[in-house]
This record gives sequence, C-alpha cells and structure tokens, in this order.
Amino acid sequence: MKVENHTHLQDEQILWAVIDESDLARHAQEHLRGCPVCKRKVEQFRYELRDFGQKASLAVPPFSRPVRLPREKPAAGSHNVGWLPVFGAAAMAAFVVFFYFMGMETVAPTQFASLQNQENLLEDESLMREIAEIVEVPLPADVYAISGDNETGFYEGLYEISGDDGTGFAEDMDEINGDNGTGYDEDFLEFVVPDIQDDFQSEFI
Amino acid sequence: MSLKITALVEKARDGNRPSFQDLVTIFQEDIYRLAYYRTFSQMDAEDLTQEVFEQAYRKLNSLNDPQRFRAWLYSIAVNRCNDFLRKRKYMALLQMRTAQEQDFMATGKDMNNSYNDKIEKKRFWKQVKTMLHKLSSMERQVFTLRFMDHRNINEIASILDKNESTIKTHLYRALNKVRGEADFFKEYRESLS
Repeated sequence: MKVENHTHLQDEQILWAVIDESDLARHAQEHLRGCPVCKRKVEQFRYELRDFGQKASLAVPPFSRPVRLPREKPAAGSHNVGWLPVFGAAAMAAFVVFFYFMGMETVAPTQFASLQNQENLLEDESLMREIAEIVEVPLPADVYAISGDNETGFYEGLYEISGDDGTGFAEDMDEINGDNGTGYDEDFLEFVVPDIQDDFQSEFI
Repeated sequence: MSLKITALVEKARDGNRPSFQDLVTIFQEDIYRLAYYRTFSQMDAEDLTQEVFEQAYRKLNSLNDPQRFRAWLYSIAVNRCNDFLRKRKYMALLQMRTAQEQDFMATGKDMNNSYNDKIEKKRFWKQVKTMLHKLSSMERQVFTLRFMDHRNINEIASILDKNESTIKTHLYRALNKVRGEADFFKEYRESLS
C-alpha cells in the first residue's frame, strides 16, 4: 500500500492512536493505515498493555469466598436507612438545644419584666404600709416615750397634761364659750349668716 | 450475553432471587479482580465484592435501564473501593494493621502456587503499585478500568460519570507517564528509539 505522507507519527500521536485511532487527524489516520513502522509502534504498545492486563489478571489470588445474598430483598423503592436513626437523633438534639437557647433569649426578657413588676409591687406595698403607719401614728415613737404614752393614748395624755379627765374638757369649753351643747354658738351663727329680714340687700328685692 | 444479562436484570428487578444469583455468578470474579487491583489484598477484595453485591441487590430497583447493569455495578464497585481506600488511609494513620499486611504475612495460603510463582507475583504487584503511584487519582482510575478491567471508553465514561473526551484525556496522560517509567513496556520504548 502506498504511503501518501512520509512523515511518521509523533509519539503523542502514537499514544492517541493507542487510545482511539479515530481521534487522529485525517492525514495521520491515513498515514497510520499505510505506514508499517507507525503501525508496528501502535500495535506493540497495545500488545504490551494487553499483556500487562492479562498478567495482572493471572496474578490475582483465586476468588475463594463466593458472594452470599441477603435473605430477603427489601421492598421496591426502599433504600438503605441505616444512617437515618442516627441522623434523626442528631437533628432532634440540635432542635431541642436550638429552641432551648432561643427560648432563653425570647422568654427571659418577659421574665425579667415580671420580676421587675413584682419588685415594684412589693416596693409600693411597703410604701403604702409606711403611709398607713404614719397616718395611724403621725409622730415618732420618741415623742410618745417622752409623753409617757403609748400610741393609742395620745389624747388621753394630753388630757392628763391639761388636768382634765378627758371627758369634761369639751363641756368646760362650752361653758367658756357659752355654748348650749348643740355644738354651735347661735350669736356667732347669726353673725356669720344674718337673718334674711336684717339683710339690707333684701329690701331692694 | 448482553441480552441474557438484560433479561436476568429485568427478572431480578421483579424480585426473582435466582436471577440475581445468576448475575452474581457472572460478575463476581470481575468485581473481585477490580477490588483486588485497587486494594492489593485478597481479604479486602473479597469483603468488598460481598458488599458490592449486597448493595446492588438492595438498590436494584433504582436501576432504570437494565442494559446499563454492568456499568452500574462497576460504578458501585469503584465507589466502594474508593471509600475503602479512604478509610484505610485513616487506619494507616492510626497504625492499625490492614488486611493487606495480614495477607502478606499469611503463610500456608496459595499452597498450589510454587515459591517462585509467589515471588514473581509479589514482584509484579510491587511494580504495578510503583507505576500506579505515579499517576493522579483520576488517571489511575481510568488506566485501571481500561487496561486491567478491560472496559472500553464508553463504559468508563458511564462508570465514572464523565464524558468520553475527559476519559481520553486522562488516559492519554496516564499512558504518557507509564510508557517512560514502567518495566512492562520496554519493547515499546525500544521500538521508539
């Protein structure tokens, strides 16, 4: 066969020819078909690769343990779920931990707020109690000690100071004021609220 | 053969256990060799073969095209081997004795083989390891599938889920490296000079 192109194939073209001759350029393919030298190179490498493969196959120790299939075939569409329980447990743990910390962040402020409210209430209550005590016992305890009285007998103490027994004081005052015991001085009342007949303004009505 | 395999796969998918057992019989030694080429350990290769077929049996329903059974099975095997090798690397870091070492230390096995034969095999695998060690991971995968597992480019592309031109490029790089280094291709090198 006539060789049209006398330039032999390069080494890399030989390698491409070993892999797949159809990947060579058309003129290289034509040369390879007509050139016994290049053809021999390609065939030699292919032979050695094949020989290598056969040697490898023969050098493998004999297969001594035939495959045994599992007893039952799983249902159609099923797959290996060995990792699923582990993954599920991990996801659940992560879920719990996540929401625990999220819960801490979200609930905590309200908890703090309610604690603050409780503190305020307690403070208010104690303040109210203090006010109530002051209303009930307006003077400090020292004053009562000086007066020798207890909290409830304050007015009695004052009566004692004034020499009164505590029951006739108002009567004496009535006598001084000329009061009749009804609680009002009629003259004084008349002075403050004049009789309508004496009222000069009413004359013009 | 291909039609027979397709028929067996279809039956096995319908739940026919003996059909899958037939598929195992057809492919188990190929898968065992594939595992051995990657692990260089008989024990590990046998374990992996068992695991590959168990996985294939469980997931057979996920195979849509029965004609792709061989490529599908090989892809399971390759992935299993890769997982195993990754694990073995970690084990080596922990200095745990691997099955490969145990195989090496085992005596009394392969009694049928002569001493010289064993020495020759050992030397052969040492050379193979040295040669494959020079290749990148992908180059090694492609080279092994093409020249040791005897798969064609189209099948390799399917097994590794790559396109054919990528496979050819990796194959070219792999051949370019091994032709200069390995003792296996002396005559080819001499023919070039």
